Amino acid sequence: MSEAAIEARDLTKTFKGGVVAVNGLDLTAPRGVVYGLIGRNGAGKTTTLRMLMGLLRANRGTARVLGADLWTADRAARARVAYVGQEQTIYGWLTCEELCHLGGRFYERWDTARARRLAERFDVPTDRPVGALSGGQRRKVAILLALASRAEVLILDEPAGGLDPIARRQLVDEIIDLAAAGDGTTVLFSTHIITDLERVAEMVAIMDRGRIMAETRLDEMQSTTRRVQVIFAGDGPPAGFAVPGAVRTQTAGPVVTAIVRITSDAQLDEVRAIPGARVNVFDLGLEEAFIELLGPEAAGEFGETMS
Amino acid sequence: MIHLQIDPHSGVPVYRQVMDQVRYHVAAGALRAGDQLPSIRELARALAVNPTTVVKAYTELQHAGAIEMIQGKGAFVADAGGKATVAERRRALARLARPLAVEAVQMGADEATALEALRREIQAIRRRRADEESIR
Repeated sequence: MSEAAIEARDLTKTFKGGVVAVNGLDLTAPRGVVYGLIGRNGAGKTTTLRMLMGLLRANRGTARVLGADLWTADRAARARVAYVGQEQTIYGWLTCEELCHLGGRFYERWDTARARRLAERFDVPTDRPVGALSGGQRRKVAILLALASRAEVLILDEPAGGLDPIARRQLVDEIIDLAAAGDGTTVLFSTHIITDLERVAEMVAIMDRGRIMAETRLDEMQSTTRRVQVIFAGDGPPAGFAVPGAVRTQTAGPVVTAIVRITSDAQLDEVRAIPGARVNVFDLGLEEAFIELLGPEAAGEFGETMS
Repeated sequence: MIHLQIDPHSGVPVYRQVMDQVRYHVAAGALRAGDQLPSIRELARALAVNPTTVVKAYTELQHAGAIEMIQGKGAFVADAGGKATVAERRRALARLARPLAVEAVQMGADEATALEALRREIQAIRRRRADEESIR
């Protein structure tokens, strides 16, 4: 049995018309981690999650959750995984209470007490058809069902989307409790907005144009990503100059600014040794690091919700 | 419960921020030997971070001899400085002084200015500690 709870290898999806939504994607979420899949709109996050869930067939590659390909897996394998997708109106004529009843029949470890507690905490009406609720309320019902299932793997597509700040904070608390319980529940969530949710992730993957650009532990990403500014005296940088390990570089006259993944203390020594070069290294905040790794064009999109 | 605050905009990883603040509270006298630290789940919820982040901070603090973790009971502040030898303490300080020295040289500050900044920080912590003592 493999250690990974969720594993994708060379996963590829091309839609009709030749649009490549996911392009040779590799992803590994170990058991018991909270894993954030972060990327801009259209990066391929939803397509990836739907392939992992077996709701969409890959053109190439493999997607496994707890060792099973959910496209072909039986009901028992699917009942080990819970999913919150972006459209929540499939059973719109049922009430939250009725959905919980169904959940209890599908999921072996269904937790009635937890469902009741969450309904109260999230303040969702349990006796009205879900289709008649607001988008935010429907989202809460979907999250409630996923959490009450006590499935071993939770896959949440933009769970914070449409939630008010209080509900978002409650979601964060619930995920922290899941992680603190230490029973090995794995959570994979996607997001395109930087909220407090990212801080709860133990691992993050940054996705861009159908690929994973970086998959790393969150604290590692934060402690290794730096903005490095090199100021040259006189005529500016020598021909062919590059900061070692730069992910992105910008040159304005004598000033070279680069986003650098720092992997060793000596990495910038050769730059410091250039006569007349002054090197400054700046820390990056979490949001800044995400934006820099995804490119400055992402700033507007992220910026709207950054606090 | 002691008040810790996380700044997501600073480039410092969250577990380091937790470590630094616990150390600060100990140095300033707000936490004393034997005081209990918040449980991992409590602190994770208060800071809205993954519990492993808190575990990492506490584990590192334990390695450094700043706290003790007792199975089933929680984390407690250890006897301060009792375990480090003079040489160890000197080495640790030298390591911490390096980034300050680098910054000072890079921004063109002279030795006296850098030392003055350090002196002020030490005095501020001592003052806070005196305040804490008078409250208790």
